[in-house]
Amino acid sequence: MATAALRIEGLWKRFGGHTAVAGIDLELPAGKFIGLVGPNGAGKTTTLSMVTGLLRPDEGTVEVAGHDVWRDPVAVKARIGVLPEGLRLFERLSGRELLSYSGRLRGLPGDEADRRATQLLDVLDLAGAQHKLVVDYSTGMRKKIGLAAALLHNPEVLFLDEPFEGVDPVSAQTIRGVLERYTASGATVVFSSHVMELVESLCDWVAVMAAGRIRAHGPLAEVRGQAPTLQQAFLRLVGAQGRDAGSDLDWLGGGTR
Amino acid sequence: MSATAVPVPPRSITPVVVRLKLALLLSGLRRSSGRRAAYLSSAVVALLFGVAQLWGFVLLRDLPHIASVAVLGATVLALGWAVMPLFFPGGDETLDPTRLAMLPLRPGPLVRALLAASLVGIGPVFTVLLLVGCVVAVADGAAACAVAVLAVLLALLGCVALARAVAATNIRLLSSRKGRDLAVLSGLVVAVGAQLVNLGAQHLGQAGLGQLDPVADVLRWVPPASAVGAVDSAAHGSYGAAAAQLALAAAAVAVLLGVWARSLTRLMTAPDSSTLQPIDAAGRGRGRTRGRLRMLPAGRTGTVMERSLRYIWRDPKTKAAWATALAVGLLVPLVNAAQGTGSPYIACFAAGMLGVQMYNQFGQDSSAFWMVALTISSPRDAWLELRGRALALLLITLPYATLVTVVTMAVRGDWARLPEVLGLSFALLGAMLATGAWTSARFPYSIPQEGFKNVMPGQAGLAWISVFGGMVAAVVLCAPVVALAVWVRLGTAGGAVSAVLLPAGAVYGAAITWLGLRLAAPRTAARLPEILDAVSKG
Repeated sequence: MATAALRIEGLWKRFGGHTAVAGIDLELPAGKFIGLVGPNGAGKTTTLSMVTGLLRPDEGTVEVAGHDVWRDPVAVKARIGVLPEGLRLFERLSGRELLSYSGRLRGLPGDEADRRATQLLDVLDLAGAQHKLVVDYSTGMRKKIGLAAALLHNPEVLFLDEPFEGVDPVSAQTIRGVLERYTASGATVVFSSHVMELVESLCDWVAVMAAGRIRAHGPLAEVRGQAPTLQQAFLRLVGAQGRDAGSDLDWLGGGTR
Repeated sequence: MSATAVPVPPRSITPVVVRLKLALLLSGLRRSSGRRAAYLSSAVVALLFGVAQLWGFVLLRDLPHIASVAVLGATVLALGWAVMPLFFPGGDETLDPTRLAMLPLRPGPLVRALLAASLVGIGPVFTVLLLVGCVVAVADGAAACAVAVLAVLLALLGCVALARAVAATNIRLLSSRKGRDLAVLSGLVVAVGAQLVNLGAQHLGQAGLGQLDPVADVLRWVPPASAVGAVDSAAHGSYGAAAAQLALAAAAVAVLLGVWARSLTRLMTAPDSSTLQPIDAAGRGRGRTRGRLRMLPAGRTGTVMERSLRYIWRDPKTKAAWATALAVGLLVPLVNAAQGTGSPYIACFAAGMLGVQMYNQFGQDSSAFWMVALTISSPRDAWLELRGRALALLLITLPYATLVTVVTMAVRGDWARLPEVLGLSFALLGAMLATGAWTSARFPYSIPQEGFKNVMPGQAGLAWISVFGGMVAAVVLCAPVVALAVWVRLGTAGGAVSAVLLPAGAVYGAAITWLGLRLAAPRTAARLPEILDAVSKG
């Protein structure tokens, strides 16, 4: 089998008394569309930050395409593209300037960066807003320009933290199309989400996280098991089943009073 | 009450809106004791100042040029009212009529109600005190006194209507991103304005109030100061001029209220489009800047320089910091030189002020630093990044510090010491860049994106170490050049040896910058996650 896209061993992160990531071991296959799913506070963002070198883990090792993230950053940073959640972009640049800046920092020659930027802006439907400052972009437009910046240097592995959060259906479909084309070429996408329908329709491989641990991982069908939907399987895995509000709130609706 | 009853709108909404204003004012005060204390103390200070000013005008009635002072005072007051809503858009809740957009109100009654509500507060009381002072100074005789009553009323309405008209025509801007950008710059205007007022007052102190007469002769015909001019005219028996000036003031109030009513109607019926811009127009504008920036070197250096320079212009916080540094860096040495006091070495002040911009480089990026962090994988990348930022800074600071030094020494007429002071300036600039780069890597902190604060709560200590520790270190690093200067002075060697200090300072500055960046680069590369964490709190 080819080298794993991502290999995580014994990854830990604590913030004061709170353990955000409690010993993760995980191997993600290359060339797949991989979903990292979990409820809010499961540790998805913390994990992705440590995997991409933006947060130093307390313990554990992370390898991207066979290279250690902390010992061999030159090899790793050239191979990954990242779209983090909750971090700003250089928002006082226009969309085009941001791509040009990002591409040149990545070491692309100026003309090549501009050529790729033009194509990405077209495909992501941002050409009309390319000269507007990113600070004036909507949420969907920000996600798209962030995705464009992450794709510009043609990385082997793409890490996306909640790429569809707050994105309108049209932009979501555009992002989806670009990502499907990208994985079809043999690249790997790892993205976090808590929208199960989305993960189920996009991914061929999933890892389920809850309370800082991996609860299940593997091909989609395997993780889903006997459950009718991934949503059901997920609720069972994170232990949130049977919590239904049927008996309380019986006054709600019905129009009597 | 039956379910089908439609509430009948009151005949006049003025009492409702005035009560709303009072309620907002009181509930705002009730929310926190700190706010109460701040409001009360500012009210007391404003009233004391107003009363003192009124008393001053009463005492100085017989001064020869007092009429000019009174007219100028009214003009400054009106200017204050016009500018206030631009800088403090959130200052008055009743000022934002878009909050009333859902109510079935017609512009006429709404304007009357909002105007009445605007007359409630410390500001109007303070204004009345000042205006009464202005008219008391010039009102001689019964006719003038009668005109004075009308004049105060018209001038007050003029001020308030001016503020409201300015606010209403700009409220889309004020509540948008661009408006908030503008508000960040207001502190700078106040700081520089205070310096200019200070200079002007000193000049008047020396040259006498007669200097004001030509300006006042024009202003006495410009509303709302023309109301004060009318009182003066009436006191001198020119009743025709007085009537004309009063009519001007009244016409101005009418026009301002008309503008206000029209923009209110537009405001309440049209969507927000302040930041929308035609795509092709924006494209042309940006294209030109790009052209000039193309002269920067290729590769990471040029890329980093380009972004840094764009941020100086486009990021309101960075822009405010730069503009303050440029203005204060010029004013302090110049004022000192003009007064002929102080040391010639004060010319180095500009280099110091501008060098501070190298501090907390990554904090200026805020959490967008992750984009930089992801492209730094070796000390060499960090070196290129820091060098690019330092070069972008030097592009502005080097010519500017040179210019300020030359101009200061020219004003002093002390050409002999120019090379020496210039050399010291360069050495200080170099030391500031070196310590700035190093503290950027070692003591980064977050800069809040909104508001006037420059440090996040909890990071003040860090910021203090970073900036003040760095500045002390920079001065210490300049010791060799300072020692050389002292040695030259003590040795009474004169101009020939003093000239050596220019190349010596320049070379020393360049060397120390290079060394500082070299030391900062590996630290930056090794601490990327820690820096990102420290700068992401804003």
